[in-house]
Amino acid sequence: MNARGLRRYVDDLLRGRRPKPFTPDDFEAAQIRTAIELRAARQGADVAAAPRQEFLTDLHRRLAEQMAGTPPAAAQKQHTTRRQVIVGTSAAAAAAVAAVSIDRAVIGDHPTEAPVAAGELTPNNGTWQRVAASSEVPDGRMHAFDLGSVSGFVRRVDGKPQAVSGVCTHQGCRLWFDAPDDRLRCPCHSTSFAPGGEVLTHQLPISPKPLPTLMVREVDGVIEVFAPPHPDQPA
Amino acid sequence: MTARNEPVGPRPLRAVPDDGYTDWDAVYQDNATWVYRTLFARVGNRADAEDLTTEVFLAALRPMRLTASVAEVRAYLRATARTVLAAHWRETLGRQITSIEDIEQPADSEEAISTAPQRVAQVLDRLPDRYRQILESRFLQGNSIKQSAAELGISVANAKVLQHRALRLAAQVNDGGRP
Repeated sequence: MNARGLRRYVDDLLRGRRPKPFTPDDFEAAQIRTAIELRAARQGADVAAAPRQEFLTDLHRRLAEQMAGTPPAAAQKQHTTRRQVIVGTSAAAAAAVAAVSIDRAVIGDHPTEAPVAAGELTPNNGTWQRVAASSEVPDGRMHAFDLGSVSGFVRRVDGKPQAVSGVCTHQGCRLWFDAPDDRLRCPCHSTSFAPGGEVLTHQLPISPKPLPTLMVREVDGVIEVFAPPHPDQPA
Repeated sequence: MTARNEPVGPRPLRAVPDDGYTDWDAVYQDNATWVYRTLFARVGNRADAEDLTTEVFLAALRPMRLTASVAEVRAYLRATARTVLAAHWRETLGRQITSIEDIEQPADSEEAISTAPQRVAQVLDRLPDRYRQILESRFLQGNSIKQSAAELGISVANAKVLQHRALRLAAQVNDGGRP
């Protein structure tokens, strides 16, 4: 029981102030829920249910700063809500997945952070290595391979081989191919990727990067991927 | 297999689908209002609704794939709002008070944004007259306790007690008749 906490919470709601935290019991939680719904059910002249124009404009400015690559820490200085830490963390995590902005870079509003090369795995010291016989990769079939240094999946699209990394870009779990659903799935956090590497679904607060593609070629009935040497056999 | 990328060489450019957004600005302009309203319906006050809306867009925009369709972008924003709201309740009251449900309807539809008006109407319908009047006066019309007391012809002290009891009963009705 925390009668005072509840009374103050409801009072703040009624006065349009930010309510203060406390620890409600079950019944107090139900009363808060009802009070929130009552406030949210107001219609007509009351405009609190719609966003203020000043708020929308201010948030737009902050987002513009973020998207222009202003360091999140600097942008946060003037805002001192208790969310500062959370937002800062999210923004930092977002920065870590900058490679996802490949798509955005295509549109051209993001020239400063467009690691276009991040989309393709290009080892410093690679060689062409056999991953399958041509006959093992008919059209529409996903063929898994593991070279020791790199593992992934190769398939044929319009007759030409394509390959993607087989490691989840979130925390490195090994992907498996769900043939009926035509997607690569991560066993760790339910992330799924299209055969071409794009993220299809995820339950993470921040979308993981798409899978890197691998350089692949077909020579004399053999499909080869450009990969670094096997860790046991340094070049 | 439907991908149409070139197999080798640098990552090819992909066309934005016709029904997608052209940039983050378009995503924001088109979705800020329903995200705010969805959150307001679940926190009941402007300050928290504004903070949570800010959090949703700061977290969601940068990693967003602009090649996604409008429906996918909205589903992603709603999922982000769900996470942000859950964290808000964990931090402030230590338990989930309201949530953003998984639903079939588009995220920007009225049913998805808020069912509060319908639920409240049902609850108020089942309350004794005086209880309903004080809740309507205070919560829906936004009257002060003094105004409400005058409206109902009772003292301010009695109006406070009446409001307190009315909210308790409404919460029981709302939660399915739990005592």
